[in-house]
Amino acid sequence: MKLRALLQILVLLLLALPKAKGANDGPSRTGGDLFAKADTEFAAGNFKAAIADYQAVVGSGEWSANLFYNLGNAYFRHGDFGRAILNYDRALRLDPHHPEADANLRIAHDQAHSLELAPSALARYLNFGTANFFAIVAAILFWLAVVWLILRPGRVLWALAGIFLAAICGFAAFTLENGTRGQGLAIVIAENAEARVATVDSARSVLALPAGSEVVILQERGDWNYAALPNDQRGWIAANAVERVRL
Amino acid sequence: METLRRVLFSVLLASAIAQFARGDSPKITAVLTSSEVVVGETVQLQIQIDNAGTSVKPPSEIDVPGLQIHFTGKSTEMRWKNFTASSSITYNYTILPEKSGTYKIPPQSIRAGKDNLQTPELTLQVADSPRAAAGTGSNRTPSGNAQAGEEKIAFAELLVPKKTAYVGEMIPVVVKIGFNSRTRVAEMAPPQVSGQGFTVQKLGEPERNLENIEGRSYVVFNYKTAISAARIGNFQIGPVEQKANILVPRRSSGTRRKPFDPFSEDPFSDPFFTLPFGGLMEQHEIDVKSDPVSLEVKALPAGAPPTFSGALGSFSMTAEANPKRVQIGDPITIKAAISGRGNFDRMDAPELSDERGWHKYPPSSNFKQDDDVGISGTKTFELVVSPNEKLTNVPPLAFSYFDPVKEKYVTLHSEAVPLIVEGNAPAAPAIAGTTPATSTLPALGGQQKAQDILHQINDRGKIVSSFAPVYARKEFWLAQLLPFTFALGLMGWKVHNVRASNRAALRAAQLQHERDELLRKLRRDQLAPREYFSDASRVVQLKTALKQTNIEPATVDAETAARVFDLDAEKSERMRRLFATSDEFRYSGAGNGESALSSAGRRETLELIESLS
Repeated sequence: MKLRALLQILVLLLLALPKAKGANDGPSRTGGDLFAKADTEFAAGNFKAAIADYQAVVGSGEWSANLFYNLGNAYFRHGDFGRAILNYDRALRLDPHHPEADANLRIAHDQAHSLELAPSALARYLNFGTANFFAIVAAILFWLAVVWLILRPGRVLWALAGIFLAAICGFAAFTLENGTRGQGLAIVIAENAEARVATVDSARSVLALPAGSEVVILQERGDWNYAALPNDQRGWIAANAVERVRL
Repeated sequence: METLRRVLFSVLLASAIAQFARGDSPKITAVLTSSEVVVGETVQLQIQIDNAGTSVKPPSEIDVPGLQIHFTGKSTEMRWKNFTASSSITYNYTILPEKSGTYKIPPQSIRAGKDNLQTPELTLQVADSPRAAAGTGSNRTPSGNAQAGEEKIAFAELLVPKKTAYVGEMIPVVVKIGFNSRTRVAEMAPPQVSGQGFTVQKLGEPERNLENIEGRSYVVFNYKTAISAARIGNFQIGPVEQKANILVPRRSSGTRRKPFDPFSEDPFSDPFFTLPFGGLMEQHEIDVKSDPVSLEVKALPAGAPPTFSGALGSFSMTAEANPKRVQIGDPITIKAAISGRGNFDRMDAPELSDERGWHKYPPSSNFKQDDDVGISGTKTFELVVSPNEKLTNVPPLAFSYFDPVKEKYVTLHSEAVPLIVEGNAPAAPAIAGTTPATSTLPALGGQQKAQDILHQINDRGKIVSSFAPVYARKEFWLAQLLPFTFALGLMGWKVHNVRASNRAALRAAQLQHERDELLRKLRRDQLAPREYFSDASRVVQLKTALKQTNIEPATVDAETAARVFDLDAEKSERMRRLFATSDEFRYSGAGNGESALSSAGRRETLELIESLS
């Protein structure tokens, strides 16, 4: 009976894996064509058309770090530094070791004179890995500890140490996910945006935010977002002035 | 340990007391709440001494001919900042000018502890009283109206304290609208100050006073505002026009005027006015108008400092920067507060006196006004800067303004703020060669500097469908089923093994127990031959099964036992005889008696059995 249940789980897994893998299949014909067309438009100096084509690929849901990197370049050439920085950030989110996106992001920040969020002290120490990295390590350590506990039930300390390390890695993943580089990170895309103390345009300004500046959205309320600002303060920003990095 | 703790505490306490006691050297400032005033109005003189200590002797009398100066009290303020205590004492004086002119309030010597401090010389410009001044736009003397009497029952007046001003200078203006106290104002809109070439601040709520003018009592509404000349030249301010609906007591139709009554033209000579509001009121719409006031607007003198952005007035500046320990590229917020009196609306943020090594961001500002019209107050700027290299301090801020009283430009400097910058300057990214297409692109004006972005990548790379972290995806949790299944299988295998080993141990224990029991019986030497050999062969079988666990005892014969125990030929032969004898007794029934088994034979058999190990 147990063997039958196990077999059922395995069959379910085998059915699920091809589906998950299907999402990572090679580019579709339409997306690939649009991407190539956008590259051609970019090379010809038609940045507006290139942006439209790259955006069409983004709209199809077939994302890649190179797609966002190229889109960032198109926005940069078009003079829209806010959206250029946004897309470089997206490229780095999908591939944290994308050297071209990293270099161009620095250049765009310099050009835009945008404000960057300072990571917390803990996030600086955890900078060597991403939330995904820590999540996977946590899972591996957890299962190794479980297997060890099964094989060597007399040596509980080693298993506890493994579970403790797994918990630390899980906490690291949580910290990074909710930090300045996490799910709330957004980029100011509007020119001359201002963070204000209240959700009205006439409210006192907390900080003027050049396009490309980084904020962390803490709360969304109608047309306004409450956000942590680069100067360690908080304020309300018009929702259409910022865009989250994570799609 | 306890002694060390006490010593440390004493050192800390002494340090704190020293900090409190030391403070900084005393500083003195003296300000007038307004440098311009009209005769009959008062102005405040404030002498502030910072870090004064307790023994301060302020001047009890300040003698300036033409000015009545009276001491009105003092206030003390304590501040605690960055573990340093500071205090300030402010002495307040009220100045009442007796006649117009320009007055110099001479420096005052004040003793503060061991220091002898001196206030700066202050200048006060006193204009004629608007009642006496002809050129201030006064139309105050109520005049009669032949028909309705509006001119006598209301007046409008525009008070401008200056006849000359600089372009951009804020000039306080008072608009006075007065109504005879025997009337009631039913409806009145704020007055309009007409004219071109200047801007007018929004009029606020008026102050309402009762004034006596030429023997008649008037309810006067004082609207305070400020004007600022936008260009150079001679301008006319006003006239101020005011429409109002007022309620006037109705004349009695049955009362006759006396023929030679000198006040017969005065509507207030009507007997009904002796009983104000005693009868019915009638509503009149009146239109009062002041005289215009001329104003000469001069250009600002040449030689404005580079940091001058159009501020005119008299200001002071304080600044602070936080945090004071940063990494290269981290933002630092500088808060600069500019206080005083002047045109705050034209004021730009102060600038860093040395911008090398700094990256600046657009500043934000907030203005908190101290008066009704926004001429006086504090404008706070927040400048965000970030160091591009290792620097030791935030350079002083510079702010320039034009002082219309002193008629010169003044530049204020804040103090440099010590700073610790950590980290290394980010290395400039390597610039890879751009594609021919990008290299032929038109330059984007001033936006493109020496650095250019890296080239496009024509490969789409790995396609993904989600930005969500791996642990937020269902694939991650489905994948956990694999190690979970493995762990379950491992656990099942482990449990099975444990159970199996337990069964083997139990069997071995049973066999050992039976073997020991049989050996004890054999040693007692009381058994019949048949039983003896049966038990002996059983012991051999048990010992063999204990040695080789996969053998059932009942299946063991002499050959098996000899093989398992690796017996030599002689012992193998004896083993065979033992099993043969046992079988013989068991199946034939022969020799089943005491005499059939000798004592030596028993001992020999027992030795053979015990030698098996």
